[in-house]
Amino acid sequence: MKNKLFVLFSVVVCALVLLSACGPAATTAPVAPPAPTEEQVPVLLPTAVPPTAAPTETPPCLIIGATYGGPITDAGYNQAMHEAVVAIKNNIDCVKIIEAENVPDEAGATSTMENMISQGAKMIIATAFNHQYPALELSKTHPDVIFEHAGGWEMSANFANFFGNPPDGWYLMGVAAGKMTTTNKIGFVAAFPLAWTLVFINAFELGVQSVNPDAQTFVAYTFAWGDAAKDADTTNSLINQGADVISMHVDSPATIISTAESRGVYSIGFQNLAAQQFAPQYWISGTGFTLGGKLTWLASTVIDGTWQPIFLRCGMADGCMAIAPFGPKVPQDVQDLVMQKKAEIEAGTLVVFTGPVVDQDGKVRVPAGEVLSADAMSSVDWFVKGVVGSPK
Amino acid sequence: MTLLSILGVLSSAIFSGTSLLYTTLGEVIDERAGIVNLGLEGVLLVSASSGFAVTYLSGNPYLGILVSILAGGLMNMILGYLVITRKANQLASGLALMFFGFGLSALIGKSFVGDKIHSLTRFLLPGLKNLPLLYTSLFKFDILIYLVIPVAILVWWLLYRTRWGLGVRAVGENADTAFASGRNPHLIRYQALFVGGMLVGLGAAHLSIAYTMNWTEYMTAGRGFIAVALVIFSKWHPLRAIVGALVFSGAVAFQLLLQSSGVKVSPFLLDTIPYILTLVVLIAWGGNRKHSAPASLGRVYQGSE
Repeated sequence: MKNKLFVLFSVVVCALVLLSACGPAATTAPVAPPAPTEEQVPVLLPTAVPPTAAPTETPPCLIIGATYGGPITDAGYNQAMHEAVVAIKNNIDCVKIIEAENVPDEAGATSTMENMISQGAKMIIATAFNHQYPALELSKTHPDVIFEHAGGWEMSANFANFFGNPPDGWYLMGVAAGKMTTTNKIGFVAAFPLAWTLVFINAFELGVQSVNPDAQTFVAYTFAWGDAAKDADTTNSLINQGADVISMHVDSPATIISTAESRGVYSIGFQNLAAQQFAPQYWISGTGFTLGGKLTWLASTVIDGTWQPIFLRCGMADGCMAIAPFGPKVPQDVQDLVMQKKAEIEAGTLVVFTGPVVDQDGKVRVPAGEVLSADAMSSVDWFVKGVVGSPK
Repeated sequence: MTLLSILGVLSSAIFSGTSLLYTTLGEVIDERAGIVNLGLEGVLLVSASSGFAVTYLSGNPYLGILVSILAGGLMNMILGYLVITRKANQLASGLALMFFGFGLSALIGKSFVGDKIHSLTRFLLPGLKNLPLLYTSLFKFDILIYLVIPVAILVWWLLYRTRWGLGVRAVGENADTAFASGRNPHLIRYQALFVGGMLVGLGAAHLSIAYTMNWTEYMTAGRGFIAVALVIFSKWHPLRAIVGALVFSGAVAFQLLLQSSGVKVSPFLLDTIPYILTLVVLIAWGGNRKHSAPASLGRVYQGSE
């Protein structure tokens, strides 16, 4: 028995060693080439030249390091962020981009970003939710490096954040969904009951109600950002309850949209406009991040030295969020209506969370004549009337 | 609770339980031969990623399924070499196989993340066509779903009605006795592992090619371990495994139905229902030793020379 326990114990230890060894190694894709061993090689290289820059090339005007929590081809959030970072390179040719995808944990994020800085990165763009604090810590020890985090809230002298503002897009998606549904049941697959997810669902249902007061949004959680089988389970469950439009807030919409398509149910995408490829027939539309322009501007301010830490949030009118093309089954009048509402939002005549906003229990959350503030949005823990499901 | 919602839960359970059932059947055969395969998670992942990759490259899901099946069998051969030929500890080898599978599947699947594949076509069983549309959409399945129950019966027939199955069970109960009666325990265990691995590969194929139509790293999210638990749940019997897989995935579908019907219970709590159910059944089964584990389960056969 003792022997068995020892074996089990050693297995667990081995497993932990393996895991801890794998984690950072697998995630730090761009590994710095080993520094030349100075004993063997006669010293010829000036020490100021970073080891990656070959002496014949002109040095890049700025090296940007970008980290992603998942794969950059996920047709979802990570791909949207990747495309925005690549846009910097397309617009400013002299920058050099170092990217690391699949960096899920905070320890891996720290070592990856340190690695990028040692390769000469003067600007770090951390796009995963949980990379904020690792980046903030590094910003204290590297005051000469500019850090930008996607969707964060912390600020310091060389740390700031940027993000798109999705609720407006969600409202428009709600308008389209409310027009397209015939069962008046819309399914929403969410990863976790987080404040921002609830805000998206609320904006969506307000859009639905603006054109179809009887339609309800049914919410079910997968409790994972990227569990494809659970995504499919949840989508099927909502469809089996009669939902004929499916939308989602998870990292990669691929499985959910494919599942809806295979069941002959409409889908609305989120995160990246590329999601449309998974639903050639039943796609309605989608809303996603198009942050390339703003990131290019941020990088240009880093290059000319005018960068300031700003809490940057931008919407459709600024080009930070976009609406995907409509699917083949969406009638022209629905498309026109959505575009008309979009123009109203961009002109400022339509504000999504304008009171009175009533929650599921009939409690007034935003009184008439007031607007839900951006601060209040990050602590929302209620669903508007018309959403079925638990907000916590 | 309408008839439609009950049928909906059933439909969801069949959809998501299929890959679980194939995997459980594979593990039943492994364990009947006396080998605990804790590396199922890794076998599933490697099969799922290679099957998905081949489906994408060839455009033919059936070719992908075939590759998944082969990959599953080959992954189990690695375990076989460790625990049969090298006489290594089964639990340790299984976990090593799992971690190997994590890495290998990530490598295989790396360039296929976010790719779109042509999945299996779904069709209705003849005779159901007259039902209203709302119902027919619930019971349009792919070929792997229709095959899963016949495969379970086939596994039962193999184990309980053939000489080969008798040998497998004999080796799982007492390898020395099986050897004394003229069987080759090593060979039988290799065969059982290969057949078991192919079934796990079939489960993986359903998961990535037919069900999620997508490859993501670590997409099994613990389903390999659920299958190990389901083997105990079904008391190492392939027909009871059908019930086990359906009950587990039915519980998943049921809690999702509860979540989206607005019950005033925390969704965090509802999400644990399938796992609590598994625990409860394992506790209830635990006291009953009759018809339970194969006697040599987990023991290394040292040879009878």
